[in-house]
Amino acid sequence: MNKKTPLLALVSLALSAGLLSACGSSESSPAAQPSTDNKNVHFLYNFSTSSLDPHVDSSYVPLRAGITETLVRLDEENLTVAPWLAESWESEDGQHWTIDLRDDVTFQNGKPMTGESVKASLERALEENVAIQNALKIDTIEAEGDKLEITTTQPFPEFASELVNPNTAIIDVSESDVVNKPIGTGPFKLTSFTPGSKLELDRYDEYWDGASPLDSITFSFNEDANARTLALKSGQVDIVYRPEVESLESLKAIDGMTVESTSTFRVHQLTMNMQRESMKDLNVRRALDALIDRQGIVDTILLGYGEAAIGPFLPSLPFAPTYAETATQSGPDAAVNYLQEAGYTLQNGVMTKDGKPLQLTLLTYSSRADLPLIAQVFQSDAKKIGIDVQIRQIDTPEDYMASNRDWDIATYSNLTAPRGDAGYYLNATYHPKGALNFSGSEDPELTKIIDELNLTVAPEKRAELAEKAANYVHDNVLNSFVLHPGTIVAYNGKKIKNWVTTRSEYYMITNKLDVM
Amino acid sequence: MFRILLRKFLEVFIFLLFIMFVSFLFIRLAPGDPVLTILNVDELSVSQEQVEAVREEMGFNDSLPVQFGNWLLDFVRLDFGVSYSTGQPVMQTLMRALPATAELTIGALLVMLVIAIPLGSLSALHRGSWIDRGSRMLSIVGAAVPSFWLGLILIDMFGVRFGNLPTMGRDGFTSLILPSLTLGLAISSVYVRLLRSSLLDSLSQEFVRSARARGVSEGRIFMLHAFRHSLPPVITVFGVSLGSLIGGVVVIEVLFAYPGIGKLVVDAIRQRDYPLIQGYILIMAVVVFLVNTAVDLSYRYLNPEMKLKEKEAHR
Repeated sequence: MNKKTPLLALVSLALSAGLLSACGSSESSPAAQPSTDNKNVHFLYNFSTSSLDPHVDSSYVPLRAGITETLVRLDEENLTVAPWLAESWESEDGQHWTIDLRDDVTFQNGKPMTGESVKASLERALEENVAIQNALKIDTIEAEGDKLEITTTQPFPEFASELVNPNTAIIDVSESDVVNKPIGTGPFKLTSFTPGSKLELDRYDEYWDGASPLDSITFSFNEDANARTLALKSGQVDIVYRPEVESLESLKAIDGMTVESTSTFRVHQLTMNMQRESMKDLNVRRALDALIDRQGIVDTILLGYGEAAIGPFLPSLPFAPTYAETATQSGPDAAVNYLQEAGYTLQNGVMTKDGKPLQLTLLTYSSRADLPLIAQVFQSDAKKIGIDVQIRQIDTPEDYMASNRDWDIATYSNLTAPRGDAGYYLNATYHPKGALNFSGSEDPELTKIIDELNLTVAPEKRAELAEKAANYVHDNVLNSFVLHPGTIVAYNGKKIKNWVTTRSEYYMITNKLDVM
Repeated sequence: MFRILLRKFLEVFIFLLFIMFVSFLFIRLAPGDPVLTILNVDELSVSQEQVEAVREEMGFNDSLPVQFGNWLLDFVRLDFGVSYSTGQPVMQTLMRALPATAELTIGALLVMLVIAIPLGSLSALHRGSWIDRGSRMLSIVGAAVPSFWLGLILIDMFGVRFGNLPTMGRDGFTSLILPSLTLGLAISSVYVRLLRSSLLDSLSQEFVRSARARGVSEGRIFMLHAFRHSLPPVITVFGVSLGSLIGGVVVIEVLFAYPGIGKLVVDAIRQRDYPLIQGYILIMAVVVFLVNTAVDLSYRYLNPEMKLKEKEAHR
């Protein structure tokens, strides 16, 4: 008898397994069919997060889902810093800041937003997030009524634009579970959160800017582009962020489906290692720059969902230079001309100078799928005019480029003005002390412009200096810019009203979003 | 008895310590560290000095023995640290994701059993018949088809075209069906073949012939003797591969947006989130150890010979 029990157990296990899976497949109707009187929008995002901490989590989901808001925001039309929870801000010297808060804002628990609560929220962000501490450079915060007096540790003119950062969002820190259930000031309040899967949100009726016409939002994550597209096709979701590019045609063929694309603040670039002998020659850099077939890359690799780049900044930004059409030549012929000016000649099909062939090592990495493809296109174009480009695949680009200098060019991708100010990109990439200065650029003239920018408060003057720096980078080909990739959003146009695909990619669920 | 338990406990402790030490070395020797991720250099202006300061403060400049020593001290105090990317306690994060992974693994195992047991048995009993050849074809196809592709086909079939099974997330039982099916189909092909060959081996054993001679019915022979005798090799393979099964569900987890532990750790590796990776390895080591102990114990019940031999050894 005793001997039989394990076998019996096994058999019954197998049987119950069969039963379970049988009832599983018959239960094919969805668990909850959304009722018609509940106005719900299901939004599907392409990143997933397991934490909702508004001050730490760099997926910025609380802001994107409409739970939290920041003091200032990026205006979508002019791409300038605009009021949000703060009505106005000013500083004479870039170090002492006065911020006036709106007086009609309440948190989603009903408590009013005051100077003290904003101070407490900012202080928590500084304490919990060392990156925010570095970025804001705040020395002291004083709160009085609806006014904040903030002093930075050094003159810091872009301080206001740094407050666009979603990790500076204002929450009620007196709540017990800030991490899993943040209480913000936005149009939607969190009802449940499944880490790595989804958020359920309800309308906040007392929202200061007018309550949303929707009853609820479901904000889910799926990191697989194909699965996202299928979810939209099946009708499970209404809006999909970054659907699969290859299947867009089949999506567009569906009646009522809307597909939108907007260029982002990101730029894919070729970083030039200025410490390499051949790369020190401006004409060599010009030749490489001329060799990049930008429009071809946008059309073939991004299937047209992007914008060819001339400089680092998106042309619609106020400080992006208007590059004169004739200033640079491009194409393989121009590249050959530049190389000849640099002293290279074509010998047996190889570009050679002083008996040495022009050989370049090009770094690329796979975590941004476009980059290795761009590297391959560049390699094949270079080969046509006799330049031997070796592609080297690396794992962690920032670490590799900082500690190894045995490469000539590198594909890299950067946000150039994520908060509407040029200071971040110019400092990080071209200042000798910048953490992303992989080209090893130590150009005194450019450094001077950046240093001056860092002390300039007036927005017009800042734009002028940023433009000057961008022009300098362009004239000296310190890096080469390939394209601004587009953000694609697809949604059910028969249902969704007032969706806006923003260039900043910060603002997604708003109080204006509605259904037909 | 107490001494045996104590010895077992010590063995496990040393085994865990060894695993943690080796993985610690591997993780730290891989190029790069999490400082750039922590400082969010992709979006925030950071100077090289600030990078160095954080690196110093977080102890990444210390020598490896010092770093391991610090980690060990925390480990003994059962402090597994906080994740660099979320600031959340590591064990809490992992334990929240573990049930989801366990559900998915069990679901996949059930699917596997439902497929492998009948198919493997039938193809052993009817060797060379159409069912044997058919199951061989299925196994080859099953082993060759990538699971993400199979998953997409299943989503397209049952989520979009015919029916509306949930294709994302973890909302009750129905959302488990498609991921379990995908994973279960992918692993079942191995076990069908394994069970078949193991069954064929047992069916040709002496005890089967003697049972026949005693006039035991074929059904009884199969259920009580041959099938049972053929399980140990299958269970051994299962025990060994469970670790990689749990770790290998990442593709499925991403495809179905299933909030399991695999996805969590792949992200952690990419971001060099050391505490989270270490915590994951620790949990996996314990899980694999428990499963293998269970597998060892199951031999005693499945194969009576072992018990007899043990008794003889004690005499």
